[in-house]
Amino acid sequence: MPTPALLLLIATLVPLVSFVVLVLLGKRMGNPLAGWVATGAIGTSFALSILAAISWLGGSPEWGCGNMPINVPIPWVPTGWGIGPQTKTGYLDLGLYVDSLTIVMFSMVCLVSLLVHVFSIGYMGEDKGYPRFFTYLSLFCFSMLGLVVGGTLMQLFVFWELVGLCSYLLIGFWHEKKSASNAAIKAFVVNRIGDVGFLIGLGVLFYHLGNVTLPEVWAALDSSKLIGSPEGIRVAGIGMFSVRALTVMGVGLFCGAIGKSAQFPLHVWLPDAMEGPTPVSALIHAATMVAAGVYLVARIFPILTDGAKLVVAIIGVTTLTMAALIALVQSDLKKVLAYSTLSQLGYMILAMGIGSWVGGMFHLITHAFFKALLFLGSGAVIYAAHHEQDMKEYGGLWRKMPITAIAFGIAVLAITGTPYFSGYFSKDLIMAHAGAFGALASEEGRSGWYWLLFVLPVVIAYVTAFYMTRCWMLTFWGKPRNEHVFEHAHERGIMWAPLAVLAVLSVVGGYDGLLNVKGFLNAAVTENTKYVQMVHPEGKFGGYESAWPSDEPGLSRSGEDEDHGATEVLTASQAAHKQGWHVMHQSVRWAPLVGIGMGILMYMRGYAVANVLMKAAPVRWVHTWLYRRMYFDELYMGVFVAITVGLARLGAAFDQYVIDGLVNLAGYAVRQLSSLAGLCDRYVVDGGVNGVGAATQGLGALVRMPQTGRIRLYVTVVLGIVAIGIAAVVVVVVATVM
Amino acid sequence: MVMGVMEIGLAHYLVLGAVLLVCGLVTILTKRNAIGILIGVELVLNAANINLVAFNRYSHGVSEGGGVALAGQVFAIFVIVLAAAEAAVALSIFLNFYNNFTSVDVEKAKELRG
Repeated sequence: MPTPALLLLIATLVPLVSFVVLVLLGKRMGNPLAGWVATGAIGTSFALSILAAISWLGGSPEWGCGNMPINVPIPWVPTGWGIGPQTKTGYLDLGLYVDSLTIVMFSMVCLVSLLVHVFSIGYMGEDKGYPRFFTYLSLFCFSMLGLVVGGTLMQLFVFWELVGLCSYLLIGFWHEKKSASNAAIKAFVVNRIGDVGFLIGLGVLFYHLGNVTLPEVWAALDSSKLIGSPEGIRVAGIGMFSVRALTVMGVGLFCGAIGKSAQFPLHVWLPDAMEGPTPVSALIHAATMVAAGVYLVARIFPILTDGAKLVVAIIGVTTLTMAALIALVQSDLKKVLAYSTLSQLGYMILAMGIGSWVGGMFHLITHAFFKALLFLGSGAVIYAAHHEQDMKEYGGLWRKMPITAIAFGIAVLAITGTPYFSGYFSKDLIMAHAGAFGALASEEGRSGWYWLLFVLPVVIAYVTAFYMTRCWMLTFWGKPRNEHVFEHAHERGIMWAPLAVLAVLSVVGGYDGLLNVKGFLNAAVTENTKYVQMVHPEGKFGGYESAWPSDEPGLSRSGEDEDHGATEVLTASQAAHKQGWHVMHQSVRWAPLVGIGMGILMYMRGYAVANVLMKAAPVRWVHTWLYRRMYFDELYMGVFVAITVGLARLGAAFDQYVIDGLVNLAGYAVRQLSSLAGLCDRYVVDGGVNGVGAATQGLGALVRMPQTGRIRLYVTVVLGIVAIGIAAVVVVVVATVM
Repeated sequence: MVMGVMEIGLAHYLVLGAVLLVCGLVTILTKRNAIGILIGVELVLNAANINLVAFNRYSHGVSEGGGVALAGQVFAIFVIVLAAAEAAVALSIFLNFYNNFTSVDVEKAKELRG
């Protein structure tokens, strides 16, 4: 096994070992040893992932960054042939697939998890479930790492479910709280809805192809093959895979991502997931759970048809708009962050939908850093404020927690897309591609609605800046609104250290020269294309053709080339890409400035300005509507839950009256029949047996009657009989003679 | 043969036997004392003996070999021997019976009744 794959495999298994150890010995280790064991495990994983990255960059003739990915299939279930129309032998494999995307994701997950672990040692220090917490964290890390290195959709699905299970366990960590256990159940059930879609997509794929190994799937079904034959893709030796089936499959797989990445309309679980401990929120929102959905879309990106991609884009843009609006008015600190996560995930999903593969993944990585920072920062605040989460009770905390305030501020700047912070690079890339998408659509004469996919994200960029500033201002600026909370607030070293690391990453995460995430992602595209073309030389692989280049053609060249720019022949997509950059720059240039400025102006004195605005009735109505999260929960409660509960009641009634009735009737009938049989037994069979006995007894009594034991009577009888006999003989003789 | 004096013939013996038999039977039927019943049985046996001897006397009286036929007498002697044996057995039973019941009343011997 090549070195990076081996290192990543070990790095995946280390948290599993830690999980097993903690399950067995966690209670005995107690506080804080259990936490350090788990932290040590994920720290080892992180070190191994860094080693893997170094080894990956070093490369070898067979693999390496920008060269070839590593594919290590591990045979699992051979399914034989004849499933569906294919004639080849089917198989379900597990396996490792390592390309630059895996390396980047893996390192990011390890790093963020490590920092969350360290933070948790402080944050969960006084909790009685401390060992249990770290047991779950270890399992969570193992699940997510297994998902990231997964080489087949089957393995992705297995670890996908494990991630879901862990999120359930951790959201409901304080299960003695009713709201927490409800939130856990909600997260689990809502995710199951998405997973049904995932399974359907997986089933369609497996039915048509006989396996779900990633490179095989890409090679067979990449969407560029549809350009020549619009009715479907002919797979060699297997048959026709119609474009409709392809779209259904793509949307089905995307449904899984909708559930996991909490996209509209399955977004309702994520805000409720705030019931879990805050480090868990950081983990779920930054590194593990919600990233899994985007990662899945990235992995299936080459086989998504145009129709499926449009669905993805529309879902993304709906989510990012809706979530940002709701985030505007929430007063719970963690709820604001939850909705901002939703909104940012919407950006990523939108990016996938419009073909900005690199942009989406880039934003996922940078977002992981600053969102982890935001959540850990909020965790520090909540810890300091006696587990008070309402921003109405905060204010002026920067005086007590300066490091947290600065770190949180950096994260806010990053998420708003302030130039030279990490979020700026990734978000701009996505919006440039959205602009290019709109430009290309109008060039092809399509509907003007395609521009919405650009306009809404741009508008929301302004909104994002505003609500994130509001969040910071209400928490750290102004006068303390609750003296008790303010008095109690303090900082702890073990908790602000991870914040500092993340703050640095939030700043530098976007630069090409430092972490070079974008370079890695571009390399991933090259690697995968090369690999598929090498394994299937006869087939053309253009799976990423519908993806935009990550660099503006003009910008990436040196000044000398710029002079000869006129002679360059730009492809249509490159031209659109360039146009997209211009449009984007003109639209969102002022977004951070305007948004942050508005936020500062409005919340400079706490709620003073907001309270004035709230006097107007329409504002109040909109506020209530948004504050109640656009009534999605009520809607789902009133429609789906009510229908489900109604159906369940109906089922229960059916069970109680019809099924139970039938069963009882059957029981009654059997009872009656057996009592009939009993009667028969008692009177006929027993009667016969007793009758024989009684007859024998009666006969015996009859025979016994003469046996009086009186000798003289016997003699009399004998004599009588003899006399009668003699008399008879005499009569006979006399009669004969006469 | 003098007409007035009735010659004793077979009929007389048979009548005597019959009378004895009836006497014996009546004794058996009426007596409750076991000894009495035994006496009645002796009477019945001896009534049979009289018949046997009488029939022998008034039969042809000659055996097939030409000698005097004595089958009746021999039979009678057998019966007497038998009666003696029977009396011995019966008396021992009575003794036992007396030991158990301090009585020889046959009415009390009802243990084996049905």
